[in-house]
Amino acid sequence: MFRSYLKIAIKVLLRRKFFTVVSLFGISFTLVVLMVATAILDHMLAPYPPEVNQGRTVAITRAAMFGERTMWQSSPGFRLLDRYARDLPGAERMSVFTSGTQAYAYPNGSKVNLSLKRTDGEFWRILQFEFIEGAPYTTEDVESASMVAVVTRTTRERLLLGKTAVGLTAEVDGQRFRVVGVVEDVPRLRLIPFAEMWAPYTTAKSDSYKAELLGGFNAIVLARDRAAIPGMQEELRSRLARAELPDPKRLSTLVAPLESTFEALARTNIRSERSQSEQLWLLMVGGALLFMLLPAVNLINLNVSRIMERASEIGVRKAFGASSRTLVGQFIVENLVLTGIGAVTGSVASVVVLKAISVSGVIPYAELHLNLRILVYGIALAGFFGVFSGVLPAWRMSRLHPVQALKGAAR
Amino acid sequence: MIRHYLKLIWNRRRSNVLVAVEIFFSFLVVFAVVATAVYYASNFRRPLGYSIEDVWVVSIDSNQSRSPWSERDESAIIETRQQLHLAIGELPEVRAIAECFTVPYGNGRWGNVAKIGGREVHYSRNGVTDGFAEVFGLSLVQGRWFSREDDAAGFEPVVINEKLAALAFGAGDPVGKVFPADEPGEAQKEQRVVGVIRDFRQDGELALPEGYMLIRVRPGDSFVVSALGNIVLKLRPGTTVAFEEGLVKRMRAVAKDWSFEVQPAVQMREQKLRDGLMPLIAGGVIAGFLMLMVASGLTGVVWQSVTQRTREIGLRRAKGATVPDIRRQIVGELAVVTTLAVLPGALIVAQLPILGAVQGVTAGVFASSLVISALCIYLLTLASAWYPSRMSTKVSPAEALHYE
Repeated sequence: MFRSYLKIAIKVLLRRKFFTVVSLFGISFTLVVLMVATAILDHMLAPYPPEVNQGRTVAITRAAMFGERTMWQSSPGFRLLDRYARDLPGAERMSVFTSGTQAYAYPNGSKVNLSLKRTDGEFWRILQFEFIEGAPYTTEDVESASMVAVVTRTTRERLLLGKTAVGLTAEVDGQRFRVVGVVEDVPRLRLIPFAEMWAPYTTAKSDSYKAELLGGFNAIVLARDRAAIPGMQEELRSRLARAELPDPKRLSTLVAPLESTFEALARTNIRSERSQSEQLWLLMVGGALLFMLLPAVNLINLNVSRIMERASEIGVRKAFGASSRTLVGQFIVENLVLTGIGAVTGSVASVVVLKAISVSGVIPYAELHLNLRILVYGIALAGFFGVFSGVLPAWRMSRLHPVQALKGAAR
Repeated sequence: MIRHYLKLIWNRRRSNVLVAVEIFFSFLVVFAVVATAVYYASNFRRPLGYSIEDVWVVSIDSNQSRSPWSERDESAIIETRQQLHLAIGELPEVRAIAECFTVPYGNGRWGNVAKIGGREVHYSRNGVTDGFAEVFGLSLVQGRWFSREDDAAGFEPVVINEKLAALAFGAGDPVGKVFPADEPGEAQKEQRVVGVIRDFRQDGELALPEGYMLIRVRPGDSFVVSALGNIVLKLRPGTTVAFEEGLVKRMRAVAKDWSFEVQPAVQMREQKLRDGLMPLIAGGVIAGFLMLMVASGLTGVVWQSVTQRTREIGLRRAKGATVPDIRRQIVGELAVVTTLAVLPGALIVAQLPILGAVQGVTAGVFASSLVISALCIYLLTLASAWYPSRMSTKVSPAEALHYE
């Protein structure tokens, strides 16, 4: 029976080509938008290298000091991280690095603008960069303030360092660095690892950062396992509550949330204990549903029209004893065939669009692609879409009175 | 005639409700995009108040702590800055030089709230040196620009834009008046208005006009240490990027441990425009495809309903309706359904300014966006009805009456 449904479905789709093309366009377009959005989120947040340990890594990227009337918010400073965030219970490793600055170089008279992060040695052990030559600098290099650097593949090209850069030097921001390693490019949207060049934080031009509670630095902490994270957050909170503040009369409280990248994105209020990640999830799901509303109504309209055209066929089937349920089932199968084809064309179009976005450079160093997870989401979505947009027309069709339907008097 | 259409629509209410729902959501989508575009366009047309031709911006970072309580050698920083100023000013390409806190098209902002006659007035400020007016080609509407003569003045000379003058002093002449202090009782020199400029829209063409105040600072003020992060230069026309490397070398020779970022202001403008317009372009492309989908969907729906009503149409023609009559009926019915969908849409959208959900958008921008989006929707639905309406009269009345 299922096979005959399929046969009918394909016959019907071929009979009114205009309807089929319009429906397919709507389904594919909706899928493309949702899949591209999902691929960008995946590109930002999924555990890809260098963030392979993302599941048990938490970061401190923001901090604030506030009093009754004033508030000062920025990235945390070196002193806050070094003094209060080290050796949290359950932490395996911890790394401190600058939040990234723009540095300029002038190789052969051309101008190169680089995002530079100054880090410690642990940075390279928590994050797993793909080295194409050389190796990272070590904790000893950082302690002795060696003028060494790791650059990305693109930076090697832009600084005109040639095919093998290890051992060569380059002047960036007025300082001369010796390249010790070259890594693959890191996507711009990977906020924690992203930079185009990394150097030991001790190479900073002034050491005034050492005394700062706020400003300029980030930290990541690798927990032994996920279960250890709440304890670490609690400990950091209580340590900061006891911290020595420079101006306790005006600014009496210090906070610095320890959280995952998604939680940091979702955080709207730095003072609340928990990030608003559930709300962000709801917002994203709600946004996707809202976006799907118009294509869904469009598809329902087309389906209603398509069904009414077949009123006499339905009348015949009803007159010969087909139940409403059978007819609804048949129509939903037909609609699923349609959305299935739409899912395939949508996926193909998504691949093309993602490639185009990656090549266009709108998002620097983005390598967007569809993976199995996004594909599964897309197909699930198409299935939902198919059933959802098929139910109402099918229900209305099944309620037709056979005599009226045979006369073709459907309204 | 419309009453007749309404009756016909009511008879087919089930499918017409669905069509109206689709048009309703389309209207909301179109309105969101159109309102953003109209808002930007209306801002774009307003005067900017300055010129960035041949202006270059040098951001300076002394790599020293900026927090108010940390220890640092302020006099050394001020001395280095004065040396920098001299070293750059000597270059033959430099026509004018000034220092300032925030720059046009930059990311910094110094917002302020003044209490004037019980009202809160939000405006932006900037601390600038005497050369600023020359670098950005500011022209004064009233009064004068500040200069070295103000060194001995017992007040802090400020120049404000027309909008802030109107906000603070109403229709009266602002020149010579004292600007209300932020926090009464705080020991602070009074700020006296010496001149009025047309405008200074720091965030560029896309931003709303706002109150703006330029405060005179001198390179030696201690304020400089924490705040004056930029040197702006007006260069000789035709200066190329090659100038930049020499400039940076020269600055590094004076201040070895400082960091510099040099950018032509045109480049900053491009970046700012791109950041501002990108969401609009992405939204516009998505909305465009959505509307294409809706238009073809509606075409299908109307086409189907026309086919289904072949006998009805045949009867009407047999009774003497002409071809244009029938076409008008098909298009007119959809136009009425569109109106039934756009009206509630417009009513809902009109709640936004009443609820205060959109700030700074003028009634004019809002009203013209409403009209433009409604026109777009009518155009869209009429275009969808056009082809089916032609199909409806292809069949001759005699055949149509036989049609099964």
